[in-house]
Amino acid sequence: MDRSALIDRLIAVCGERGVFHTRSDLMVYEYDGSVDGSVETALPVAVTLPTSTEQVAEIVRIANLAGLPVTPRGAGTGLSGGAVTQDGGIIIALTRMDRIIEIDREDRTALVEPGVINLELSETTTPLGMFFAPDPSSQRACTVGGNVAENSGGPHCLKYGVTSNHILGLEVVLPNGDVVWTGSTPAGAPGYDLTGAIVGSEGMFGIVTKALVRLTPNPQSTLVQLAAFPDLDTASTAVSRIIAAGILPASLEMMDNLTIQAVEPAYHAGYPMDAGGVLLVETDGLIEEVAALGEEITAICKNSYATEVRSATEKAQRDLLWKGRKMALAAMGRLSPNYYLHDTVVPRSQLPATVARVREIGDEFGIEIANVFHAGDGNLHPLMLFDRHKPGDVERVLGAGKEIINWCVSVGGALSGEHGIGTEKRGYMTMVYTGEDLAAMAGLRNAFDPGGRLNPGKVFPKGYSCGEVRALRAQAIAQKHDIHPV
Amino acid sequence: MRNPAALLAAAEFDPAISVDGLVPGGVVHPESGEEVAALLAMCDQHKFTATPVGGGTKLALGNVPPKMDVAVSTLGLGGVRAYEPSDLVCSLGAGARFGDVQAVLAEHGQTIPLDAPDDATIGGLVATAIAGPRRLGNGSLRDLLIGIEVAHPSGTVTHGGGMVVKNVSGFDMPRVYHGSLGTLGIIVSANFKVLPLPQRETTVVGTHQRLNEALAAARRIRQSRIMPLALEVSRSGDGWSTAVRIGGHEATLDGAVLEVQRLLGHDPQLIEGPESSAWWRGYISATDLRLEHDAALLRLSVRPRDVDTMAEGAVGALSQLGIASPVVAISPGLGQVIIRLEPEPADAHDRFLTARDVLSALADHAVVLAAPPAWKRGIDVWGPAPATLPVMKALKEQFDPGGVLNAGRFVGFI
Repeated sequence: MDRSALIDRLIAVCGERGVFHTRSDLMVYEYDGSVDGSVETALPVAVTLPTSTEQVAEIVRIANLAGLPVTPRGAGTGLSGGAVTQDGGIIIALTRMDRIIEIDREDRTALVEPGVINLELSETTTPLGMFFAPDPSSQRACTVGGNVAENSGGPHCLKYGVTSNHILGLEVVLPNGDVVWTGSTPAGAPGYDLTGAIVGSEGMFGIVTKALVRLTPNPQSTLVQLAAFPDLDTASTAVSRIIAAGILPASLEMMDNLTIQAVEPAYHAGYPMDAGGVLLVETDGLIEEVAALGEEITAICKNSYATEVRSATEKAQRDLLWKGRKMALAAMGRLSPNYYLHDTVVPRSQLPATVARVREIGDEFGIEIANVFHAGDGNLHPLMLFDRHKPGDVERVLGAGKEIINWCVSVGGALSGEHGIGTEKRGYMTMVYTGEDLAAMAGLRNAFDPGGRLNPGKVFPKGYSCGEVRALRAQAIAQKHDIHPV
Repeated sequence: MRNPAALLAAAEFDPAISVDGLVPGGVVHPESGEEVAALLAMCDQHKFTATPVGGGTKLALGNVPPKMDVAVSTLGLGGVRAYEPSDLVCSLGAGARFGDVQAVLAEHGQTIPLDAPDDATIGGLVATAIAGPRRLGNGSLRDLLIGIEVAHPSGTVTHGGGMVVKNVSGFDMPRVYHGSLGTLGIIVSANFKVLPLPQRETTVVGTHQRLNEALAAARRIRQSRIMPLALEVSRSGDGWSTAVRIGGHEATLDGAVLEVQRLLGHDPQLIEGPESSAWWRGYISATDLRLEHDAALLRLSVRPRDVDTMAEGAVGALSQLGIASPVVAISPGLGQVIIRLEPEPADAHDRFLTARDVLSALADHAVVLAAPPAWKRGIDVWGPAPATLPVMKALKEQFDPGGVLNAGRFVGFI
């Protein structure tokens, strides 16, 4: 199929307005939320914007006929390069499939299309007494489909869990164009947990066209407390003590002084400018319980050398305290023209040592690093400040990023807590996984997509095609048991 | 590592271990993941089937195996491998007993909030994915599992996930093994998030004469501000009970308890503290898969909004058919009903099949959790094959092309 025949067929499915194919239109889709230079990208052959499951299935079949790979895409807010193509192919942008099909108040579920924006879902359901718990920082723009692909987190994961804990079932277009449902009851359908496998599969197993999501009841009461500490060590100690006291807050966020310097002048959230670290603790639940926990948290923070603890229960005040945290990324523009937002996880007890090491790495590479993190789950987000027009800055930032990952892995951490691997971190996969571990992942992928047509080039180290993974596995087995592969 | 051939040669015949009346040719007792992998590779080479066995509490689950050559006991893979109370995570050997693990966690005021028999093993709980009533408030092991180590028939041991509570480094392998009934590999160890024990817990049990009254009481609880750990409606003597398990902050539970009492009505019974957990142990023992006589255990599920209709329909149909159902355990919030059927001995098999047909028609999914082998033969206990079966078969083919692991026992006779 030549290019113009392909475009004609896609237009026949999606209509003129549903297919982009001019160079200037396609260039927009070469980008996502990731930092230029941290991921590889290529111009797609065409971008399609289907409005129904049938159209998605038909595009997938056409792509198969044309022998082209397919990359699904939501709002393109991802930070690891998951929504850009590696070597051309067809992008299926799901942003026009944005209907909330059904809200079930009794079961507290919503059936949504993948293009529904995360925050819009919660804003629609909050007046009905419930919300969609995953709340990544990009929630004003990112889509539920993207959340499913990346298994997105957010500040409230500590208590409520990540996206995977909130997906009950998925309608999926498989790489061969078949449409299936993976589950629908909370008890789960018999058989392998395909819903669980697809969430976080970075668009490589199937294209989600509907999701049945769990909604969480609005808490009766919510308390946000801001505690200021002389430094990050004292703040980290307070975090450990809160957890040790058996308290599981809805979220436990930390920011360092550099972040405070950026956000306070911009948003006037009331963060003390001289604090070495600020802790934002949100507790929610029954009125009595929240009040009691608030007092305990205040006492723990004061005993951990907090210089100030402020509490807010009214929504406007709570929102103000949160504003500094939620707008931290936006505020970085005050400090530096560009930033590279990193995402790694360490066991919570390793946070103080990790923070110290991140500081050292910043010094070694001559980069300023601001720190915001989900302290409750040990998920850190070093923000590396740089100027892309300064020669060598991008390289230094990427170098520092790798060092941070090295450290996190060495203390038992992981490559990514919520941003995914994509192309950004695929080169690091062998730091935490053996060839055999990767072969198992490749086996899972092969079960869904034996041809490797869906979002190729992601997650696995570059050049690690499925065939090679199989060969590696055979080699490993042969070495182990001295059996020669046929 | 010990020689797998020698381990196989030394495998002992143990009539205490059997699946659907079949006793494996021998039981092996590996002590490391490498040994399990080497054993499985050898089974693959010689076309033996291998059945993982932990505490033996859920061996009834699954289709009748066509044959059973080797049973692989995981009891040698026990122990708490790592536990960091301040990180709220632990790593457990597959053969660790659930009760022993809970005792270790309780010393630090923590728990894996699952309802399971003490003698069940961690590997078995992950592989069978059978969660109890607390799934409502705390989720199942699916929600707590953060890392896993698995031995495969390819002779390899693979890892997925890790020891951190949030992790998107590659595909979510732990979830793939959860509930896979040991058909993709034998779990060697598993890592979990743990939770703080509630400072105090109380169970409130209301009794009602009629099922619809008990279900209505449960509905009032579901619609209230109370977020119970568990909410169950069950047959209790001649009537029905609605049990609500709540836990939380010491100083604040009283208000919630009063509210639950008011919502249940009929002067409900209060069960406090340790007696509350004991009550729930008793409750789950009624749905234990180890059935002693000719009885069957069925699990029906629908979306929760339809559970009242399903439950009333099931109880009504069974009474019309004249089939005794001494245990009916309804989880309204989970959309699930577990029923123990005890048909009259005369044509019990036929009556069981009729009951299964009738009950399946009421549910989205109906699984026979346990039944005598004669009743299970000829049916797929997991119900009709799902539309996703081709993907499931492809997955099995990727991990166990020789059909070594629990051959024939899983969905669609995988």
